[in-house]
Amino acid sequence: MTTVTGIEETRTGSQMTFFQLDDEWRSATGRGVSVAVIDSGIDTAHPEINGRVKASFEARVDNKKVVFDPSEAGDSAGHGTACAGIISRIAPEAELYSIKVLGAGGLGDGHAFLAGLEWAVKNRYRVINLSLGTTKPQFFSPLHDLLDRAYQAGCIVVAAANNLPQPSFPSVFSSSLISVIKSEETDPMKFGFHYGQVIELTAPGVNVRTAWPGGGYRNLTGNSFACPHIAAIIALLLEKHPGLTPFQVKSALYAIAQENQEAKATD
Amino acid sequence: MPGSENTDLDAKLRRVIETIDIGNLLVEPLTRSIEQLLSASAATMGSNEASVLIRDGDEGDLRFLAAIGEVADQLRDMKVPAGKGIAGFVLSSGQPMVVSDVGGEETFYAEVDKATGYSTQMMLATPLRHNDEVIGVLEYINRSGPPPWQPFTPAEMDKAALCADALASLVSAYESAKLFRDLGDRLMSEDSDALVDVRAWLSGVRDTAEHKEMMELALLLRELASRGNAERAMCRELLDAVLRFSDTRSETSFLGY
Repeated sequence: MTTVTGIEETRTGSQMTFFQLDDEWRSATGRGVSVAVIDSGIDTAHPEINGRVKASFEARVDNKKVVFDPSEAGDSAGHGTACAGIISRIAPEAELYSIKVLGAGGLGDGHAFLAGLEWAVKNRYRVINLSLGTTKPQFFSPLHDLLDRAYQAGCIVVAAANNLPQPSFPSVFSSSLISVIKSEETDPMKFGFHYGQVIELTAPGVNVRTAWPGGGYRNLTGNSFACPHIAAIIALLLEKHPGLTPFQVKSALYAIAQENQEAKATD
Repeated sequence: MPGSENTDLDAKLRRVIETIDIGNLLVEPLTRSIEQLLSASAATMGSNEASVLIRDGDEGDLRFLAAIGEVADQLRDMKVPAGKGIAGFVLSSGQPMVVSDVGGEETFYAEVDKATGYSTQMMLATPLRHNDEVIGVLEYINRSGPPPWQPFTPAEMDKAALCADALASLVSAYESAKLFRDLGDRLMSEDSDALVDVRAWLSGVRDTAEHKEMMELALLLRELASRGNAERAMCRELLDAVLRFSDTRSETSFLGY
């Protein structure tokens, strides 16, 4: 049982209790929870993913606008399949939706993933895994608006942090999304939360063995592999508590991470 | 009027020379610097193979600009289609990543390896960023010494990001210089009768050692001219004197023009 409390203290100094979270989510499978993977596509035939991708879409430019068509193109780079593999392992019954924005000819990088995010919000996928980002200042404002729309629509956007010198968007927007950085932890359930830091969540992201196009597996390192760990954990939480708002999910992650930290300290 | 035709040709000639020379003077030293920095950074990463890929066009394609290692010559100028392979992902996402076991399957790298005869086993790829833009990708392939190799670590990813920063500045300078060179090349290929003579003349001189010497003189003059009126006047007088001296010795110009 996890007690999920408010992050801010009240005027009297005491913390406000919001709700109790029982431990059932730990044995959940993500059944019925939609998870969009905005990436390079997914190899839907991979044994670890087969049957779990409910639909695949691909960005295409049509008269200067981005449209999304059903796609059978699979994965051109491997990354989307790797993320889908991580999500499937933790939340095997989550419904995956592949939104392929990489490798779409004629699309600028920022425009492509912005369009993909908008498409995902429009379709109201509950969890949106976003390993992409941009440092271009012109995308700051449109992305901020879009993330607010996601928040209001109840879509939970999980973004990979960029550990490079410049801040990248959207991972530095702390209010309306969940941003994740890699740790050397190997147990997906033992994620961390650094309240007050720009990138709050830490999850396994070093030498993660996961699916790769063509039926094989790869050992991969990067923040973008930490991100799907948290997307999958959220799918588990939402299966058992479908009514959670993005804010409540973040509070729950914070509370669980606190427990993880305490457990680690007593080990 | 023949006089104005000559003036026109002179102006065109000057424009072509300036454009080509600025480009040539800058591009080659920059390419060398990029390779030197690449070698130095690969040594600190414990890798013998490294490459810099840059954007090729506006649609996310990549091209190998510089490479060091066994198959460097084969990689140079090889293209990577948009969104393909790990480099394509890193360019589009801006996310660095490490793959510890690349080989063994039908992937983009299998195609590259087939073309080069090399065996890519592990890779660290990180974006090259300049002024908020991802302009390319820096890759380190395999480790030095015989396998088995330790995977690249998160600390090495951070180190690679620092190397990428330094390389990105050089790559950006290279791209500006290359713009000049391409502009010069385009001028040279213009379908204009007036440039036929210019093209013939330039093709004979642009690769000579004397030409480089002339450009060094030109740079010196430019520097002197920027110092002020007195310097410019003195410079003109000195050059006139050198010309008069040269006439008396009946030597031709080193360019033979």
